[in-house]
Amino acid sequence: MDAKLSTGDTLSAEDQELVDGLLAGKRRPLAKTITLIESTLLAHQQRARKVVASILPHTGRAIRVGISGVPGAGKSTFIEVLGIWLIEHGHKLAILAVDPSSSLSGGSILGDKTRMEMLCQHEEAFIRPSPSAGSLGGVAAKTREAMLACEAAGYDVILVETVGVGQSETTVAGMVDMFTLLQLPNQGDELQAIKKGIVEIADLVAINKVDLNPHHAAVCIAQWKQALHMLRPTSPNWTVPVVGLSALNRIGVDEFWGAIEKFHETMTKTGELEQKRRNQALAWMWSMIEGGLKQFFRNDPRVEAELPKVAQQVSQGQITPGAASEKLLDYVRQKS
Amino acid sequence: MSNEKLPDSSNLDQWKQAALKSAPKTSTDPAKWLEGVKWVTPEGLEVKPLYTKKDLENLEFSDTLPGFPPYVRGPQATMYSVRPWTIRQYAGFSTAEASNAFYRKVLSTGGQGVSVAFDLATHRGYDSDNPRVVGDVGKAGVAIDSVEDMKILFNEIPLGKISVSMTMNGAVLPILAGYIIAAEEQGVEQKDLNGTIQNDILKEFMVRNTYIYPPSPSMRIVGDIFRYTAKNMPRFNSISISGYHISEAGASQALELAFTLADGIEYVKTGIASGMDVDDFAGRLSFFWATGINFYLEIAKMRAARLLWHRIMTNFGAKKEKSKMLRTHTQTSGWSLTEQDPYNNVIRTTIEALSAVFGGTQSLHTNSFDEAIALPSDTSSRIARNTQVIIQEETHICSVVDPWAGSYLMETLTQQMADKAWSIIEEVQTMGGMVKAIESGWAKMQVESCAAETQALIDSGKKVIVGVNKYRLPKEDLVDILEVDNNAVRISQVARLDKIRATRDSKAVQEALDALTAVAEDPSKGNLLDMTIKAVRLRATVGEVSDALEKVFGRYRATNQTISGVYGAIVETQESWKAIQADIKKFEEAHGRRPRLMVAKLGQDGHDRGSKVVATALADLGFDIDVGPMFQTPEEAARLAIENDVHAIGCSSLAAGHKTLVPQLVEALKKQGSDDIIVVVGGVIPPQDYDAVFAAGAKAVFGPGTRIEDAAKKVLEEINKAFPAK
Repeated sequence: MDAKLSTGDTLSAEDQELVDGLLAGKRRPLAKTITLIESTLLAHQQRARKVVASILPHTGRAIRVGISGVPGAGKSTFIEVLGIWLIEHGHKLAILAVDPSSSLSGGSILGDKTRMEMLCQHEEAFIRPSPSAGSLGGVAAKTREAMLACEAAGYDVILVETVGVGQSETTVAGMVDMFTLLQLPNQGDELQAIKKGIVEIADLVAINKVDLNPHHAAVCIAQWKQALHMLRPTSPNWTVPVVGLSALNRIGVDEFWGAIEKFHETMTKTGELEQKRRNQALAWMWSMIEGGLKQFFRNDPRVEAELPKVAQQVSQGQITPGAASEKLLDYVRQKS
Repeated sequence: MSNEKLPDSSNLDQWKQAALKSAPKTSTDPAKWLEGVKWVTPEGLEVKPLYTKKDLENLEFSDTLPGFPPYVRGPQATMYSVRPWTIRQYAGFSTAEASNAFYRKVLSTGGQGVSVAFDLATHRGYDSDNPRVVGDVGKAGVAIDSVEDMKILFNEIPLGKISVSMTMNGAVLPILAGYIIAAEEQGVEQKDLNGTIQNDILKEFMVRNTYIYPPSPSMRIVGDIFRYTAKNMPRFNSISISGYHISEAGASQALELAFTLADGIEYVKTGIASGMDVDDFAGRLSFFWATGINFYLEIAKMRAARLLWHRIMTNFGAKKEKSKMLRTHTQTSGWSLTEQDPYNNVIRTTIEALSAVFGGTQSLHTNSFDEAIALPSDTSSRIARNTQVIIQEETHICSVVDPWAGSYLMETLTQQMADKAWSIIEEVQTMGGMVKAIESGWAKMQVESCAAETQALIDSGKKVIVGVNKYRLPKEDLVDILEVDNNAVRISQVARLDKIRATRDSKAVQEALDALTAVAEDPSKGNLLDMTIKAVRLRATVGEVSDALEKVFGRYRATNQTISGVYGAIVETQESWKAIQADIKKFEEAHGRRPRLMVAKLGQDGHDRGSKVVATALADLGFDIDVGPMFQTPEEAARLAIENDVHAIGCSSLAAGHKTLVPQLVEALKKQGSDDIIVVVGGVIPPQDYDAVFAAGAKAVFGPGTRIEDAAKKVLEEINKAFPAK
C-alpha cells in the first residue's frame, strides 16, 4: 500500500494509543481495533477510518489466503492442522471468518473457537469470528479492514474462512491473494453440480479426507484436474493445482502450503500480485462508495419516514417500483 | 343388590356425559373442551384422562409373566418379593481415605454395594500433578492416581463379596486395572470379582464429555474390555449402557430410551466384531436409567426398555435367555432437584425412587436433597439412603411383582413408549447407527433442542417447579453443606505420586508402558486391558497409562454445534422478553454492536447442558455469544475473551470449581490488562459461597433455577455499568 496515503486528520490520544499497541503486536489493542472497525456507529466508523489509514503503511506484507468449502469438507479441522503447521514453521497467523448469515432476532452464536481448540491455545494464533452484520457488502468491507489490522500487528499469514455458502466466496476471493477450495473426494462424480462460478475463481483445489478411500480419491483428483483444465485459468502463469489431503492425519499440509508459497512467488515475480491488490483496492473503493450511498440514502429523515409507506404501496401495486424509487431518491437529490 | 348391569368400558358415552358436567361454565363448546383434557408428553405422546379395558384390546404384551420373554414385567420371576433391589449409593469424597470411610459406614447401615465416583482429573486421564487440572483434583469424586490410592479406597472392603460399581468411561483401562490389582493384593481372584464398570463411551461424546480418545479407538477399548472380562471375570458387568446422562442433559424419556438402546446395539456389534459369539458377552451388558419426576412415563420407559432389548437381542440371534434380558441400575434425577426450598427435593427423590421401583430396577441410587447446591453431606446422604430402606422395609411395596401390570394406562403407555422409541431407533439405523448419529452432531442437537424447550417452558411458567417458578419462598434458609478443600487434596495426592515414582522400578514401568503403546499401535499384539494390568501392577499411574495410549490414539476434541430458535420461539411473545430485546437494541445503538458474551467451561467438568441452554437462549434474545471450547484453563479463557473483545465472560461451574477457577480467571484477565471484561458465574454454587465468588471479582452469580431472562437482564445491567455509553 501507498505509505504517503493520508486522511488529513490526526488521531485522538486514545486512538493513537490503540494504534501504538497494535503496531507493537499486542492482542488487546488489535481486538479493540477490530471492534471499532466492525462497529455500526457513525462516530466509530470515522475513528476506524483514521485508524486504518494510520496503520496502512504497515500492511501488505502477509500472505492472504481465502479458504472455502462445502459444510462437512473438514474445513475447521484443516485450518487447525494447517495453522499449527504454520506456527511450527515460524509463522504468526490470524484467522478471520466471513459469515453472511443473519439471524432474525439479531444475536449470533460464534463457535469458531470450539472448532479450533488446539490452535487457539497458541500465542502465535489470533482467531476472530465476527458476528454477522446483515449485508454481505458490509461484512466484506469490515473483514478487509480487520485483515489489514492483523497484518499491521505482525501476523504474516491471514486466513479468511468463508462460513456461508454461495455469494460469500466471490467476496472473499476479492480480498485475498489466493483463493482455495476444499472439497470431499466423493464429489468427483458430481463436479457438474458444483457452482461453476466458484470453481472458476479457485487458485488451488484441495481434496480432503483422501485416506477414506485412496483409490476413489485418486480418481477424484484426476477428474478435478481434467475439469479445471477446461476452464480459463485464474492467471496465464498458473496452473491450478489439485492437492490431496487428510487433515485429520496431517497428510498433505506441506504440499498445500508449498503450492501457496509457489503461487505467491510466481505472482510477485510477474507483478500480478501487485496488480491484483491494486484492483482489489479499486473494487473496495467502489463497494464502499455503494455502501456509503446506500447508508446516506437510508439515513435521510424523509426517506426513513416515507419508506415503509412507499414500500407497502409498491407491494400492493398502487405505484410502480420505478415511480417509488424516483420519489425516494428525489429526497436525497434535493439535499445535495 | 339388583342384577342391573353397571356402566363399563362399553358405555364410554355415559362417562363422557358425566365428564361434560365438569366443563367450565364459560366453555362454549364443552365437547371440544373435553377433547382438550389430555396431557401431551415431551415426546408427543397423548395421555388421556381415562383408560379402560378397551385400551388393552389391541396390546400384544399386556398379559405376560415376570421372568419370561419379553420381560416387560421384569427379568426375574419373583423380583422384589424374594430379594429387593440393591441399594447402591454413588459417592466419592475427594480422597481415597474419606471415601473408604464413607463406604464402610454405608455398608454397615443398610447399603448393599459400593459405587465409586471419581474426580474430574481421573475421568480425563490426568494425574493430580498435571498443571491442567489444578482446579479439578478432588472435585465431584475421589482422586485416584495409582493402585496405591485404589488399595486405600477398598481397604477392608472384601472385593470378592461386595459388588463394586465404578463410573468410569474415559480412563476406563487404568481404573479397571487398578481395581483388579487392588483385589489381587487383597488375595481375591479375578474370577470372583463382582460389579460393574460404566465403560459407556458413546454417551460421553453425546452428552457427558468425559472422553479422552476419539470414537474409534475408544470403541476398540470397549471391545478389548469385553473380551478380557468375558474370559477372566465372568461375574463382572463389562458395561453399563447409560441413558442417565442423556436424560439429565435434557432428553425426553423416549429419546433417552431410544439413544441408549441404539448405543447398546453399537456395543453388541463391537463385541461381535472383536470375534466373540453374542452369547459370550451379552449377558454381562447392563443398563443405567434416570428416573425423573414424570412418574408414569418413567415406569413405562423402564418396562418398554426390557421389551425392546428383547426384540433387539433376538434380532442379533442371541440364543441364551440371559442375553436378551435387560438388567438395569437406576438413579433419581439430579437435574430435577432445586436449589430453592431444597427440602422439597426429598419428596421429589422419593417419587422418583418409586417409579424406579415400579419400573423394576435391579439397583438404585437416590440423590441427596442438597445436590443442587453442593456435594452431599453426611445428613443428606443418610436421608437419601433411608428413602430406599423405608420403601423396602416399611411399605410392603416389595411384596408384589410388577404391581402396575394390567393397569389400562400403564400397559398402553408402555406400548406407546416402546413404539415411539423404536421409531427413533429406526431413524438412527437409517443414518448408519449411533456412532454416525453422534459423529454428525445430530444426536446431541436432538437432546439440546429438548433441553432448550424445557428451559423455555419453565422460564415462561408453563411447566411448574415448586419453589422455583411457583410458590417461591420469600426468604431461603441456608442448608449446611460439605466443603471440599481442593488444594489440600491435590497436595496430598502429589506427595503420594512423588513417593510412588521414587520407590517403584521405573525402568520396568517404562517397558510395560511401551508395550502398551505397541499394542495400541497393533491390535494383533495383545489386549489393551491385559497390558494395562501389567503396567499398573508395576505402579504405572493413571496419567502415564493414558499418555501411553494417547501417543497412538490422540486426544479427542469435540466439534460443538449450538441450536438456535427453540428457546426464543416459546418465550418471544412475553412482554418481559420484548423489554430485554428493546434494551439490547438500545445498547446496540449506543455502542455500535450487540452485547457480546463468551460462555466458558473451565476445568475438566464436562456437563454442558446449562452452558449450552444459556448460549442458545441469550443468542435468541439478541446477544452475540462466543462459545468457548470445553476443558479450558482460566488463562486460555481470558485470552479468547480478549481476542474476541467480549463485554463479559459467563463462567459455568457444576463441580465445585467456582472457588478456584473464578479467582484465577479474574486474575488472568487482570494480568493481560483486561479486567474491564466482567465475569458472571452460573451453575451449582451454594449460597454460602456467593460472597467468596463476588469477592473474587464476579459481578453476578446465578444458581440453579435462575430464569434465563432474569440472568440476561442482570448481565446486561452489569455490562451497561462496566461499559457506559459515551
